[in-house]
Amino acid sequence: MSVTTRPAQPRPQSGPAAHQRRGRPARHRDDGRAGYLFLSPWLLGLALVTAIPMLVSLYLSFTNYDILSEWSDIKWVGLANYRTMFTDDPAFWHAVKVTLVFALIATPLKLGAALGVALLLNKSFRGAGVFRGLFYLPSLLGGSVAVAMIWRSIFDRTGALNAFLGWFGIEGKAWVNDPSTALGTLILLAIWQFGAPMVIFLAGLKQVPTELYEAAEVDGAGAFRKFLSVTLPMLSPVIFFNLVLETIHGFQGFTSAFVLSGGTGGPVDSTLMYTLQLYLKGFGQFEMGYASAMAWVFLLTIGLVTAVLFRTGRFWVHYSDGDD
Amino acid sequence: MTAPRMLLRGLMAAALVLPLALAGCGGDDDSSAGGKTELTFFWWGGEARAKLTQQALDLYTSKHPDVTFKTTWQANQGYFDKLATLTAGSDAPDIFQIDDNYLAEYATRNVTEDLTKYKDSGKLDVTKFPESLWKYGVVNDKLAGLAFGENTQGLVFNKTKLEAAKQELPKTGMSWGDLITWAQKAGTATKIPGTMDPSADYKAFWVWLRQNGKQFYNGSQLGFTKDDVQKWFELWKGARDAKATPTADVIHEGNATDITKQTVVTGKALTSWVWANQMPDIQKNTKDELGVVAYPGDPSAQWARASMYFSVYRGGKHKDAAVDVINFLANDPEAGKILGTDRGLPSNLDIRTQVAATTTDPAMKASIALEDELLKKFGPSPSVPPKGHSKVKTELIKAAEAAQFATLTPDKAAEQFFSAAQAAVSG
Repeated sequence: MSVTTRPAQPRPQSGPAAHQRRGRPARHRDDGRAGYLFLSPWLLGLALVTAIPMLVSLYLSFTNYDILSEWSDIKWVGLANYRTMFTDDPAFWHAVKVTLVFALIATPLKLGAALGVALLLNKSFRGAGVFRGLFYLPSLLGGSVAVAMIWRSIFDRTGALNAFLGWFGIEGKAWVNDPSTALGTLILLAIWQFGAPMVIFLAGLKQVPTELYEAAEVDGAGAFRKFLSVTLPMLSPVIFFNLVLETIHGFQGFTSAFVLSGGTGGPVDSTLMYTLQLYLKGFGQFEMGYASAMAWVFLLTIGLVTAVLFRTGRFWVHYSDGDD
Repeated sequence: MTAPRMLLRGLMAAALVLPLALAGCGGDDDSSAGGKTELTFFWWGGEARAKLTQQALDLYTSKHPDVTFKTTWQANQGYFDKLATLTAGSDAPDIFQIDDNYLAEYATRNVTEDLTKYKDSGKLDVTKFPESLWKYGVVNDKLAGLAFGENTQGLVFNKTKLEAAKQELPKTGMSWGDLITWAQKAGTATKIPGTMDPSADYKAFWVWLRQNGKQFYNGSQLGFTKDDVQKWFELWKGARDAKATPTADVIHEGNATDITKQTVVTGKALTSWVWANQMPDIQKNTKDELGVVAYPGDPSAQWARASMYFSVYRGGKHKDAAVDVINFLANDPEAGKILGTDRGLPSNLDIRTQVAATTTDPAMKASIALEDELLKKFGPSPSVPPKGHSKVKTELIKAAEAAQFATLTPDKAAEQFFSAAQAAVSG
């Protein structure tokens, strides 16, 4: 399995210009300085709004920080927050469970929907662009509070869905307010926002060289065989990319759970996602030290999951130079 | 303080302060320029409250032209998140509204200014307040907030719908059993569930406990047992089984939303369990005429409670001015006239009499009438709920809803709530 870049993307670093720079060290230093200067707004932003707050939160995770008290009252508690989390907090494990259920169901289904629609839209027909736009629209709106509110009203007892079901004489229930279906409506909302991975899949599909399909047809392959033996392997790097991104995304679901449950994770904790529990701990119960510890456990877990995905990727992701 | 902590503190401060500086929020400069003082003022409530409060503050500014206000208000939902965030950034408002769910949390962490010295010097005048009322604001011997308004539990019902169906109206003094039987009958006649299920509502549970010789809290301990909780949950399970209450999802909606979307407003039940002073705000959101009575059982189990408080931020720059403003809002007859009973019956008894005599709002009148009726019956007030109360409230909702959705039996739900509540008050 060879790992090389696609020929379609020329590498700007290579070529005569790069060699020239390497040959003139004085210029090189000037370029660097200017480069950092241009980067400085970003670097400053990274340090101030990401790196430093993260370090502070790491420190806070070993303390009893409660937001309201003064900094001088902060006490170092060592690993106590982490210990409580793993041994003495049923709500923590419940939130882990809810989040896993959400991510494990929503992510594959969302990717499946994205790939399916991308395959349909990859054909050229009149108005294909319009459809692409329409299918992409939900992802543009998806993270917003407004959509979650609309979702809430659709799946309410008196909502649009039940009105629709009523035409067929079916009496629906209050989907968002029932503990057995509330998480389901959140998953559905996540799946509906398949536009972003779909666009990436579409781009990937366009890159599959038509010669491969032609060759497969000559060998007598049907549509399904072509999909299995040409499309999927050629698309695997894109699938991998989407999988990693959407898994991380799945773990981080917050807005929809917050809005649909009115910020409580209810009914009966059925939508108590990890991030929501973290928020409630920090801002509702003023246990910001504990919430910080939760954040770090979360970060490490996502890092671990991503690492595992990368490890397995070696066995099924097929990087190819295409028609070379 | 150790060096690394100093460094962290500095870094944290930089991280917090820099975006503000970049955004040009030079509020402090403006507020002291030319002898002018700008006070920040933050409260929760609806539009009606916002209008009244703004009018009262404008009146203050017209009398003290050097003091202006930067006001912010929002719905109750999310209010305390925002207040906590502002406090964390050392940017809490000079004056903020707070209730007894959070007063102890803020007071024990020294966020609120101790108003005792202002009270003693007369700059904060509480001489016209009932003593039990202003003492409500005392946490650990410090006056953490000025009780702004008095209220008590009130059962609001839909008069229009009940009269249309020729049903009896609920009455103060009916037993819990009577109420449930009434709700069952009225529900059948009106085709609307008779009463909202209050099993997740701490204030209803509290009244019921007092009627049974218990308390919600004894100091910072729970004043009830697991068996009490179970009996309470079973009482309402019986009501649900008798179809006297809405379905669990509707109850949940009522529990999760703010005052304007209570079941009596949305037409999903004939009653809602609220604080009496919320009547006008609820009435504004429905065309049907509403009435209000006490919670069921012996009304002497109810008590006169400080509906909310105004606290002054200890880290504020203009604490004297802030105290003068809340003193004005509480004791000035003109301000009292403007504010009416929106935050509860006025704490100042002179103003209370004046407002009661002049108000024309029927909802406000109904709420005053209830308090007047109960005034002689009120039992002794319990002390302010201890630290951890907000968590106890949340846990009660969780357990009660689990019982409502039948994911737990009343027995198991009671057990879950009791141990969680115990952990919350001791932690």
